Amino acid sequence: MNLSMKKNEDGTVLTVIVDGSIDTVTAPELENRLEGAYAGVKELILDFAGVDYVSSAGLRVIMGADQRMSGTGRLILKNVNEDVREVFEMTGFDELLNIE
Amino acid sequence: MISVKHLCKSYNGAPVLRNVSAEIGRGEIISIIGPSGTGKSTFLRCLNLLEHPDAGEILVGHTNLLDPGTDVPELRMKMGMVFQQFNLFPHMTVLENIMLAPCTLRRIPRTKAREKALELLKTVGLLDKAEALPEELSGGQQQRVAIARTLAMEPEIVLFDEPTSALDPTMVNEVLTVIRNLSKTGITMIIVTHEMRFARDVSTRVLYMDEGIVYEEGTPQEIFGSPKRPRTRAFIRRMDMLCFELDKFDFDLYHFRSEVDDFAVRQMMEQKKRNAIQLVLEELIENILFPRMEKTQLEIGISAESGEAEIRALWTGPAENPLNADDEAGQMARMILSKRCSQREFAQEDSRNILTLKLFGETK
Repeated sequence: MNLSMKKNEDGTVLTVIVDGSIDTVTAPELENRLEGAYAGVKELILDFAGVDYVSSAGLRVIMGADQRMSGTGRLILKNVNEDVREVFEMTGFDELLNIE
Repeated sequence: MISVKHLCKSYNGAPVLRNVSAEIGRGEIISIIGPSGTGKSTFLRCLNLLEHPDAGEILVGHTNLLDPGTDVPELRMKMGMVFQQFNLFPHMTVLENIMLAPCTLRRIPRTKAREKALELLKTVGLLDKAEALPEELSGGQQQRVAIARTLAMEPEIVLFDEPTSALDPTMVNEVLTVIRNLSKTGITMIIVTHEMRFARDVSTRVLYMDEGIVYEEGTPQEIFGSPKRPRTRAFIRRMDMLCFELDKFDFDLYHFRSEVDDFAVRQMMEQKKRNAIQLVLEELIENILFPRMEKTQLEIGISAESGEAEIRALWTGPAENPLNADDEAGQMARMILSKRCSQREFAQEDSRNILTLKLFGETK
């Protein structure tokens, strides 16, 4: 998994572009990278165009990020491919998350 | 077209072919399958006299190959062979490699040989590589050139000796596709292969070799669907299965995943299904099995016949179906397994727990 982050000028919108698999091995890394980036962020965008695989370990991190954002702003998932969307659907996460 | 009777061949007194007989008709596509070391390649090499049999008879048409007066070079021109290693001349371009034998052995004019070579390169999908050197090509592309080179001699019979064994699994399909297309042209083909799904799909007949003989032969449906003899049955089952001894403290998910994916590619499983089986396996191992036990035996079967997959986890311990547990950590995993698997069954036999998951089959 590779990821890059960019913030807008006033630091309120953070876009995280993720590539590869979010699984048991890589999910902790995603969690750690997000942990250091929440400060001042009102909108967290996870761009999943390059994500081809998400397991429940990844879902837990995304859910945690959504809960973290819920008090002060919101989390948006973008460009989720069909296979990954199916994993969200089968666990009911598609109902809980903002997926664009 | 080819009639083999009582063929025997030994190396240093150790018999490899004990008594092989087979009849192969014009236009047939014969796959030869079986465990390693049972004489499949030796048999193939005897057919064009790369190995000389100790006894027996090989008739190609009306020509007895083992007759001392047989014109062996002429015979080899009729019977092309594709090897495991591609053996292209490294200093020659792809085009020159293909033109070499027709120009030197058949004395075909260069312009005509070139025309034919380009046509064959188009057939194997490599027209744009005509001027490339072999080292600039991937393994799969080199093998496709080797096939084109064999066809340039316009053989009546093509022998394939494990044509995909030396290839990275990602390149297997491109070569199999070329052979598959070739099988529709009416040329007689004899293929030694470990690609079971391929053998089932393209062959008119399958020879199962074991113990130095043709142990069983039949249509692909007979050999893969309902093999009659015990060693054939055991082999077919084993070829469709991958087994692991998993240790929680010595488990590399990515290494495991790559082995499963290689196996699934060889069973010709499409990408979407491969992703699905990987997801089920990760959830099962990381969130259902490892939280409960340190060691598990895992069997993954992908049927070459139906494309269905079966995962069996076996472990010792008190009878407890982990799919009925209510721990929060495993909740999402259980949800994914319930959606992805068509069947989930738990049983205990002789103090061993067996959890069986089936994918891509009918829901029970």
